[in-house]
Amino acid sequence: MSARRLVMAWLGLMALGAAELAASFLPLPHAWRPLIIAPGVLMILIVAVTFMEVTEGPTIVRAFALAALFWLFILLALGAADPLTRTDYPTPQARVAPPAGA
Amino acid sequence: MPLARAIECTIMPSGAVRHDFQYATPAYQSQTAVAGMWLFLATEVLFFGGLILSWIYSRHWNPAGFDRGSQRASLAAGTVNTAILVTSSFAYALGLLRIREGDARGLVRCCAATLALGLAFLAVKFGIEWPDDFRRHLFPSDPDFGVQGPQQGGARLFYVFYFWGTGLHGLHMIIGVALLLWIMHRTRRGDFSKRYHTPVLVVGLYWSFVDIVWLTLYPLIYLIGRSA
Repeated sequence: MSARRLVMAWLGLMALGAAELAASFLPLPHAWRPLIIAPGVLMILIVAVTFMEVTEGPTIVRAFALAALFWLFILLALGAADPLTRTDYPTPQARVAPPAGA
Repeated sequence: MPLARAIECTIMPSGAVRHDFQYATPAYQSQTAVAGMWLFLATEVLFFGGLILSWIYSRHWNPAGFDRGSQRASLAAGTVNTAILVTSSFAYALGLLRIREGDARGLVRCCAATLALGLAFLAVKFGIEWPDDFRRHLFPSDPDFGVQGPQQGGARLFYVFYFWGTGLHGLHMIIGVALLLWIMHRTRRGDFSKRYHTPVLVVGLYWSFVDIVWLTLYPLIYLIGRSA
């Protein structure tokens, strides 16, 4: 790891941070707004590769890192499965009464 | 065995590095310490994963309330803190580079810069941003909560996530600051050299991980609901 590479990584991180901030002001549809985190994911990758040197350590390090991501995916996928797939049906009390004369 | 002992080698007067008996070589002992920290960080990923899941779940049922809450959060403080934390990780990585070249004074200088940036982050978060949130009645159990109307419940949930997320992250930062002081103390004592600096490496992994946690919290708290 050279100082030049670290400086490039820091500049990249600042640029991606600025891009993420700018993206937050875009009038995106509600369902698309979580995509604003995309530059943040790239920032996390840069930190992991350059500052934490995940690709340069022993193999077991990469195994632990991948295992962490795998179990995080399982946690989030299973945990979010219900709210993201549930269909809500209105109760009779919640239905709006039709206007008079209709 | 405490972490400090597990990553310990002994530097002999000749400059050679003596390892503990259960390891074949000093390099093997160093790799084991690094792998141990990564395993710990894997458990931390799942710890913060629960927090992220709570954000997904709560925001799904209260999207407008979460957006209202996010719009009340201090974007300036969050953005400044992001730049501070990213720069602190960069400073620490430079310090690791210095000690790999045998420059212990350079490591101390970089650690001091990292420490200053870490304290600046904590000052912005707990000295400016949180008190401002309290003044604006944004604590979730505040009877005069700062968001009124139909979105109040969702906004209160957002601030439950906000205070837990930033509080737990801040706690990790405080631990990181203590570890930085420990590294600086040991470096000044002459414990680290070009040949042996495993604790410097391990603490750097922790510090960068805390940076990654913030890079995850920043968009969830300050950005996604901003222009909704």
